[in-house]
Amino acid sequence: MPDTNRQIQEMLVDFADALRDGCIPAYLKSLTREEAQRIASSDDFWNAAQVVRVINSVGFADKAVTPNLSLFLSRVDAKIASRLKKTKSLSKNKHSIHPPSYFRKKAGGTLTKTERNDKSL
Amino acid sequence: MDRRLRNALQGLTDPDIERRRRAMEPFERATFDNFKKILYHHLGNETECEDILEDVYADIWENPEHLRNVYSEKQLIRTVYLYYMRKRLREVYRRMNRHLHLSQKDLSDLVAPDLGILEVMSQLELRHVLRRLLNRLKNRERRAIDLWMQGLSSRAIANDLKTTVGAVKMLEFRTILKLRAMFCDYCNED
Repeated sequence: MPDTNRQIQEMLVDFADALRDGCIPAYLKSLTREEAQRIASSDDFWNAAQVVRVINSVGFADKAVTPNLSLFLSRVDAKIASRLKKTKSLSKNKHSIHPPSYFRKKAGGTLTKTERNDKSL
Repeated sequence: MDRRLRNALQGLTDPDIERRRRAMEPFERATFDNFKKILYHHLGNETECEDILEDVYADIWENPEHLRNVYSEKQLIRTVYLYYMRKRLREVYRRMNRHLHLSQKDLSDLVAPDLGILEVMSQLELRHVLRRLLNRLKNRERRAIDLWMQGLSSRAIANDLKTTVGAVKMLEFRTILKLRAMFCDYCNED
């Protein structure tokens, strides 16, 4: 059963372990309301968290490897292509929306509903 | 700045989107490792780093204005973190925050903080400084941090130091605060 009333040093070490093991979301979910308040009011926690990030990145960032950079590049390109498509379809929609009524009247010679009402009055 | 990176940056700030798209590949090749290390600093998870980085590169392609006046690698890292990565990091955790007890501000400060002087130091310099500072610690303190950096759990460290888990956590906490004070001294000296 997880400890639900951790002191600030325990929460810091748990944060460090979570960062090292790559499971920050699980750590965040484990925090109770009281623990979250304790973190918010502790300067020591924030100061120590900064150093924990540095130690973690010095110790482990170099070991993080991407097996296939080309695959990643193609993923980014696919994302860009999809955004490009979205932008194009948006601009297309902008141009194809119905023109305002005063243009329609000129083009087709028909009257809008309000104008018809005005005329009948 | 590396010539290849400088050329890629020039291509990225081109108003033509297709040219920008072509400039993305050299830009990604030149920056991928550094950007990934920065994200790893905050996430500690390769897969999440790549997912976020994918969006970051697409954001850069879509809106490269902030990179217009970048002339050095340090400046590039700072700008990309402040304008692209931090936004994405915060977005990921904002979605989670409905079920958390941390306030939105605390969550942002924890997972996507402002860049301090330590974060803009190069990896090489950081490693060098950390090694130097660790050598100035007491044996027991250094051993605890070394074992933690080898990936050992608090219980395993406690077994090695022949003490309790609670004592190890307190020792690590105090040592980390001591290291922070040393880092501050180093930065002030510099």
